[in-house]
Amino acid sequence: MTPDEVLDVVREAVVVVLEVDPAAVTRETRLREDLEADSLALVEIVEIVEERLSATAAGFSVDDEELDGLTTVGEAADLALAKLAGR
Amino acid sequence: MRVALDLLGGDAAPGPVVDGALLVLAEQPDVDLVLVGPPEVAARLPVDGERLTVVPATEVVGMDEEPARAVRAKRDATVRVCARLVRDGSADAMVSLGSTGATLAAAVLTLHRLKGVSRPPLAAVVPALAGPVVFLDAGATVEASPELLASFALVGAAYAAARGVERPRVGLLTVGEEAGKGDLARKAAHEALSALPVDFVGNVEGRDVPTGGRADVVVTDGFTGNVLAKGLEAAAGTVTATVRAALASRGDVPDDVLDAVDAATGHMSPEVLGGAVLLGVRGVVVVGHGASTPRGVASCVRAAADAARSDLVGRTARALEALVPAVPQPAVSQSQGGPA
Repeated sequence: MTPDEVLDVVREAVVVVLEVDPAAVTRETRLREDLEADSLALVEIVEIVEERLSATAAGFSVDDEELDGLTTVGEAADLALAKLAGR
Repeated sequence: MRVALDLLGGDAAPGPVVDGALLVLAEQPDVDLVLVGPPEVAARLPVDGERLTVVPATEVVGMDEEPARAVRAKRDATVRVCARLVRDGSADAMVSLGSTGATLAAAVLTLHRLKGVSRPPLAAVVPALAGPVVFLDAGATVEASPELLASFALVGAAYAAARGVERPRVGLLTVGEEAGKGDLARKAAHEALSALPVDFVGNVEGRDVPTGGRADVVVTDGFTGNVLAKGLEAAAGTVTATVRAALASRGDVPDDVLDAVDAATGHMSPEVLGGAVLLGVRGVVVVGHGASTPRGVASCVRAAADAARSDLVGRTARALEALVPAVPQPAVSQSQGGPA
């Protein structure tokens, strides 16, 4: 998948879970501060992203520890992309 | 109706849950049970593969664990397996007496939320004097912003409509009827609820929950809601005990009079009410008291079966769709499949 495709997967998950305007979700959007995502919402986003990316990379998953440092949508997409590349 | 029952949920689980399952088998012939937990726990039950089946699950989410992370990490946790059974159609509803946070997380991550519900609240139906009052949030989310309280108001109104109330009146729980009463959060919430497409009747007070009449739906945060709900339950129990003791001291009171006292006040008991429904998820989820007796467990199962039988989730979803303004949605659908 291209970086833009992975970013789209993350953005879609964010939009679905947080019910925000897709136009308001960019690489720079901060999940907690700008979108008020709480711990349950973050886990929900991660599980949707895992499900979507597993379609092209079976068993794709993110460790909980890797989530702690994430701030923005772009960082989440970069993490997903790096894990895909490292498989 | 087939109800998935979390064997490891509850303060004294599995004992009261197992005994509650036996009561269900004896008293609710139209309900089948799927017990979710260690098979050895269900060993003393008459598992026949029809009215009673067992789905193995060995993990449990503890009260001291962060619910979302724990439910994510423990795919084999009883509460998550229950939710999966509902999602896959193997059960019509689920009941857990375990951690409310874990049940909320399992329901959201597995069943997913209805559109417009950012955090599913727990809704209790209080048998008030003037008619049933839908009271939410009874304890799912301790802190709630004005926007979240507005979300509770919408889904609460939809739930009341699904229960047959034609145009539910919605009230905001605070410390006075005037619009300016309450803390800053309540004042902001009053403004937020005023803008909703519901019949907002303004502020209501704690007494309006057990008496009813002013509002069909009473909205508050989970902290306040849980405090009030448990206070009401305990007050009802205290009244019962006090009146019974006073009558018993006379020595000549027939048993049927004492039974009438129990019946008059017992309807406020969680043992009879049957827990609270987690509103706004795509499946019937009933959360019971952790300290429930077997009778309370059976009441929760009855409430879950009744909700499933009457398609309460579907009717709530349709009523909610009429209230929530249309917003563009992406192609991703939360209702289709999803992570286990």
